[in-house]
Amino acid sequence: MKILLRLFETIRPTFEGGKLRVLKPVYEAMENFFFAPSTTTTGAPHVRDPLDIKRLMSMVIVALLPCLAVSFYFFGLRLLAMIIISYMAGGIVEVVFAIVRKEEINEGFLVTGMLFPLILPPTLPLWMVGVGVAFGVFAGKELFGGTGRNVFNPAIVGRCFLALAYPAAMSGNCITAGHGFGGRMLQYVTASNIDAVSQATPLVLAKQGTLTDLSHMFLGNISGSIGETSAIAIILGGVFLLFSRVANWRTVVGIVGSAAVAAGIFHYSDPERFAPVLWHLCAGGLLFGAFFMATDPVTSPVTNAGKWAYGVMIGVVTLLIRNFTGYVEGVMFAILLGNIVAPIFDEIVVKFRLMGLRDEK
Amino acid sequence: MRFKGGYNILFQGKPAGTVKVMPEPRVLYLPLRSQRFAFSELCITDGQEVNKGDVLAKDPMNYAVPLLAPRAGTVTLKEAENHIKLECVAQDKKHTHVGKAEPPHIVQEMGAAGIKRYKLLQLGAWQFFYDAYNQVVPDPLGTPQAIIISTLSLEPFVTRGDVQLKNRLLNFTRGLEQLQSLLEYQPIYLILPEIKSELAALILERIRGYASVKLLEIPLIYPYDNFAILARKLGLKSNGGPVWGVRTEGVLAADRALTFGKACTVKIISVGGISVNSPVHLKVMAGYPIQSILEKYILSPDARVINGGILTGNIFDSKALGLDVECRGITVIPEPPAREFLGFIRPGWDRSSYSGCFLSSARKNFRERFTAAVRGERRPCISCNFCEEVCPAGIMPYLIHKYLYRDLIEETEEARVDLCIECGLCSFVCPSKIDLRSEFIKLKGLIEKEKEEIRKEKERQEKLRQEEAAQQEAVEDINK
Repeated sequence: MKILLRLFETIRPTFEGGKLRVLKPVYEAMENFFFAPSTTTTGAPHVRDPLDIKRLMSMVIVALLPCLAVSFYFFGLRLLAMIIISYMAGGIVEVVFAIVRKEEINEGFLVTGMLFPLILPPTLPLWMVGVGVAFGVFAGKELFGGTGRNVFNPAIVGRCFLALAYPAAMSGNCITAGHGFGGRMLQYVTASNIDAVSQATPLVLAKQGTLTDLSHMFLGNISGSIGETSAIAIILGGVFLLFSRVANWRTVVGIVGSAAVAAGIFHYSDPERFAPVLWHLCAGGLLFGAFFMATDPVTSPVTNAGKWAYGVMIGVVTLLIRNFTGYVEGVMFAILLGNIVAPIFDEIVVKFRLMGLRDEK
Repeated sequence: MRFKGGYNILFQGKPAGTVKVMPEPRVLYLPLRSQRFAFSELCITDGQEVNKGDVLAKDPMNYAVPLLAPRAGTVTLKEAENHIKLECVAQDKKHTHVGKAEPPHIVQEMGAAGIKRYKLLQLGAWQFFYDAYNQVVPDPLGTPQAIIISTLSLEPFVTRGDVQLKNRLLNFTRGLEQLQSLLEYQPIYLILPEIKSELAALILERIRGYASVKLLEIPLIYPYDNFAILARKLGLKSNGGPVWGVRTEGVLAADRALTFGKACTVKIISVGGISVNSPVHLKVMAGYPIQSILEKYILSPDARVINGGILTGNIFDSKALGLDVECRGITVIPEPPAREFLGFIRPGWDRSSYSGCFLSSARKNFRERFTAAVRGERRPCISCNFCEEVCPAGIMPYLIHKYLYRDLIEETEEARVDLCIECGLCSFVCPSKIDLRSEFIKLKGLIEKEKEEIRKEKERQEKLRQEEAAQQEAVEDINK
């Protein structure tokens, strides 16, 4: 460790005012990645909570581990390539903007780069992954001023862009998950592979009148976007995220609860036409979106009441899109819509809070 | 009472309940400045000999609160900057009394209560009284709408009320009676950790009939003992007159001043924190040399020495030689050790966090060894809402921060930054390491200054208008 620290010390002058001063954000990011910053408090309070943004963001990665493990099992090594591409393409955009703005590189990108491949179909061409994440980080985050100031979830913006630009690749049949011992763990499956058995996703099948078995959907043994197939893995990671308080439970309960209620109302009013509650909860990206995408603290409302409204809106809109529009899945649009109205919810709640505060004292 | 927010940081180095008496030093250094006071009006000359309890200096801005000599000695003014040096001399010499004046006319008019208040001020007890809303010195001759007495000090690690109360319950109840005699019908609220305890029953029994005290129980969570929070929770409005906040030491000082007529110069302070070898309470007098305390109790020389608690205290000035009159404790924490390798992916069994992001949330009742490290890089606000959750004042720190970021000063006023009690919890929990507390303190100062300027401008214009009117009249008179 000491050797590494000494190495950083020796090369620091090159980046601070030296030849490579343009790349100072990159150097700082590297140094602070390996070694905690040495700054101390200047006044009261003299101590600080150990939690920092790095830790906060790495908790999301930890929560994604069950999801990643299951995805590797079902969809194979290609996921690894997608993650690498995603980190590289998104990282370049982030670094370029940090250099231009002369700001630090933000850790939020670590989460975006990991989330993005998990919401894509497993056979998507790798270049599309790169284009998608680059667009997402650029248009969804950097244009607004970087982490903390963005309105939309960058990963969802990237996916939305791909869905509109390359609808065939995005919504076509996905490969089914690998069966048997070992799954596809050691396979590299692309769309043209011979043993890739493609099949429509459960939501598409449901439109055609066949409901996929719930137990398969629970385990993830179905076709669909990489990370969203296995409900159990998502819940496992999601509950961890709730306990570590990185994700707010109000948003998650709002989404899942309102989706369940809406699905229940639809199902019991016309059981022939609408799928049952549990099926809706496990199908598509609802759980993944509820736990990992909608809970992004930056793009969701800050106030607690706002979080409830935001969650309920996403849940209901998802079910409406699924059941009454031409689209088979609505989570992506629902969350984007939620991101748009989140500041408005906040504004309203804050207004009431300030009205309450006005008479204090 | 329903409280909002608040958070107890579990922190190693809590001072024990025992009180140790420090040996009397040869030289005392009395600082001329403390948090609220600036004793700029000197009452003595260089080389003068003074008695115990003599007035050395006064603070003209704060109702002439005196700085009293803790014991007899010879005064040197020029040796230490901003300090009065008091060197010990033989105790039995006769000296002239310094700075004793006849009570002003208004006090005599007020009768017995007025004279008592004057005594409180002259004998150094008044410096333990706070205006509940803004922590300044209240007007000693004003009438409060209520007195809030708190026996609790929940901030780590200021002097504990229960330690100060030990063996002095009689003085405390007598002090309560003395305070009651200052009032007419206004209520006295006494804040206790438990109102069903033996102690509470004992206090009630002792003061029966002589003082009407309302006992209140609050949860032991920092900073519910803050006077501003308590006043708000009790429904006392700031426009209904001042509310006096008094801590245990204030009640004891009132007893000492009014019952015995003695000056209040000796106090009990805490010495706590990780870098202290045996955290304990000390009985010292104002002006006690800091260095001799540190030599005895501090482990490492490069530790940070704080005047007050860990969340609101100030670092001791490098020029500070003695304890000031307001010192509520000394907290010493170490500067951070070597930079941690890959700190953010460690399980975190040994660190206590507000959020559950560390393994330590599976542990119960453990106290962390905090250092002075910021523990992270400054980042933009990510709206995690932790600051609002812990805020005891019920305001939205992130919102004020965002307004401030866009220079919307008027909006920050609407968001009631003035309700902030500067407890420091928002800065503590912020994962983006934004120093919200100092931001708000600066902002409040700015708003105060602007308001003052507006007031002055209005006065100026009013004056101009009057002059113009007078001129107009004069011209009209001439015309007639």
